[in-house]
Amino acid sequence: MKSLIIEDEPDTAAYICNGLREAGHAVTHCDNGLDGLHLALNGSWDLIVIDRLLPGGVDGLAIVGKLRELQKATPVLIVSALTSTDERVRGLRSGGDDYISKPFAFSELLARVEALLRRSHPGQSSTQLQVADLTLDMRTFQVVRGTTPIALQPRELRLLAYLMRHEGQVVTRTMLLEGVWDCHFDPQTNVIDVQISRLRSKVDRGFSPALIHTIRGVGYLLGERA
Amino acid sequence: MSAPRATAAPRGHPLGGFGLNSSIATRLALGNGALLVALMLVTSAVFYFGTVGVLDRAIDSKIVSISNRLISTYGSRPPGDLAREINLELTDGIDSDTEIFLVITPEGRPLVGNLSRWPPADTPMGQLLNREVVRSGRPSSARLLVKPLPDGGRLYIGRDLSEQRSIRTLVLQALEAAAAVSLVLVVIGAWLFRHQLERRIGRIRRTAREIEAGNLDRRIAIQGNDEFARLGVDINRMLDRIEQLMHGVKHVSNAIAHDLRTPLGRVRAGLDAALTRHAGAPALADAARTAVEGIDDLIVLLNKLLQIAEAESGMRTESFKVVDLNRIIHDMVELYDAAAETAAVQLSVAGGGPVWASGDHDLLASAVASLIDNAIKYAGSGSRVELTARSDARGVAIVVRDNGPGVPAAELPRLTERFYRMDRARSQPGNGLGLAIVSAIATLHGGELQLTDAAPGLRATILLRAAPPVRPEAVPAPARPSLSVANLSNP
Repeated sequence: MKSLIIEDEPDTAAYICNGLREAGHAVTHCDNGLDGLHLALNGSWDLIVIDRLLPGGVDGLAIVGKLRELQKATPVLIVSALTSTDERVRGLRSGGDDYISKPFAFSELLARVEALLRRSHPGQSSTQLQVADLTLDMRTFQVVRGTTPIALQPRELRLLAYLMRHEGQVVTRTMLLEGVWDCHFDPQTNVIDVQISRLRSKVDRGFSPALIHTIRGVGYLLGERA
Repeated sequence: MSAPRATAAPRGHPLGGFGLNSSIATRLALGNGALLVALMLVTSAVFYFGTVGVLDRAIDSKIVSISNRLISTYGSRPPGDLAREINLELTDGIDSDTEIFLVITPEGRPLVGNLSRWPPADTPMGQLLNREVVRSGRPSSARLLVKPLPDGGRLYIGRDLSEQRSIRTLVLQALEAAAAVSLVLVVIGAWLFRHQLERRIGRIRRTAREIEAGNLDRRIAIQGNDEFARLGVDINRMLDRIEQLMHGVKHVSNAIAHDLRTPLGRVRAGLDAALTRHAGAPALADAARTAVEGIDDLIVLLNKLLQIAEAESGMRTESFKVVDLNRIIHDMVELYDAAAETAAVQLSVAGGGPVWASGDHDLLASAVASLIDNAIKYAGSGSRVELTARSDARGVAIVVRDNGPGVPAAELPRLTERFYRMDRARSQPGNGLGLAIVSAIATLHGGELQLTDAAPGLRATILLRAAPPVRPEAVPAPARPSLSVANLSNP
């Protein structure tokens, strides 16, 4: 994975670069907007992580905009201290694929990076989602574990579909809030945990192996192995 | 800083000087006085010419008409006819105490008339003149017209002006007296005017000084309903707002000092202990994890404070859209249903159709989430929490009602204070900012958060303004978030 990190603040840059290197990425770092623009347009990248406010006269959104203008579909994760919903929406509208607010936990960033990379290499996109012996039919909204049909409420179906689409990936609570409930604020409670545990009681209880796993301090993962 | 302050300082009087440049009251009063004087002069002139002037002109025309009549009737007849006519005029008892006649023969002798001394022969003829004469033995000033007679003699016709003189003097004296009285009145009026202005402004200035000196609770005393009273009301209202903001800032600083320092101290102490104890790697990792959790809590707290500040500054109002409150409460209930189930709280939505409001979807959703969270936490297991979105003449509202133990009436108003936590809430996780944020969000939307006793339980009402009437196609699809391929397709 070739990743370009455009971030001027040295500590944050080191935090992201080191983390991604440990996760197996080949990381190139750049600390200003002008060089960042040059590198982003002329290199071949699997992923670009970009800060919004950059020195050098070119800000993060301008780089993303230019990239999209040239029809480059490289996944872009915007990292910013501008956290309000408006800023988020502006970031995504300019062509960013995801937006993460500073300060953030590296696990959150990594989970989002992996989701982005998975999205740019689409796997299953049929009308039938399947993980192990769990299937979700997108047309009839039937959920079956082995041979047992499982009744789920509409939101639980969306939650399960989200997890199944990210099979084998860690998804964070924030990702679930945004992806399933379209909720761009942090309710600051364990609502997601109890939603997951309810879903788990329906999908996993009495079946083996367990498919929904808790990744401590990060989020959840649906897959045959933790 | 000190130099401009010194030049700006008022001289002499504590409330500023009384010089023309430093007192608008003096300028206004003097200007007003000048206007009054000008008005008086014009009035006097009109009055004078309307009385004395009219009398003068009446005399002049009478003299001219008599002379014309005498000359045209008797000019060509023998002088004896004219003399007889004049004798008749002098003895007919009409105007006999003011009229003047005199006929001088070509030889320069008086033929008939009541003048014993008259202006000399070279007096210009045919013009109305003021001359000193002796009439019936008494000297007097007179208006005279001298006309030539066909036989070479002269005819003097005129009026005694003594009466006019005395009338003129009387009128002038009256005008002078009036002018003097008016001037005195103008001066007194100006003084009263200035005094009144100084008194009213002085009160405002004194209050401003006291506030500048730090007594932010001082207010301008309001009297009556004039311009100054209205200005005072406006200033007082502004001061209320400023005091409220200052109070908020002070409160937040206190709260930050306490509520941020405590967890920071805890994080620091934990890390410090781990370092000084020369603990092994697992213990260090534990300490680091605890520290990260503590810092995460701090970030949450800071975000909430920023959220309040952002909502209170009113910055987001430009991003307001038409939102369906009913859909928001359904979404939030679906987010919290599992949590409610776990806490054995029955969470439900009453009522149905869309309720349109103008607002920020995320902020309103987070406010509803916060109210549901509170209700689940504090109503206790076995209780019911019911959400309603309603619309009536007063506006639209979101109501979150529980049937838990409720809140003592005395505590209700304090619930929206930042960092305020009821005693029994201290055992629960939380930071005392939830309702303060909900309240700030409601205020941002031009509404308010009302907390009332639902007997039993607590009723939290977010009152909002209804959305302006919209065309149906401009409104987002009111459908409930149902399961669809679109919803499921991409994360």
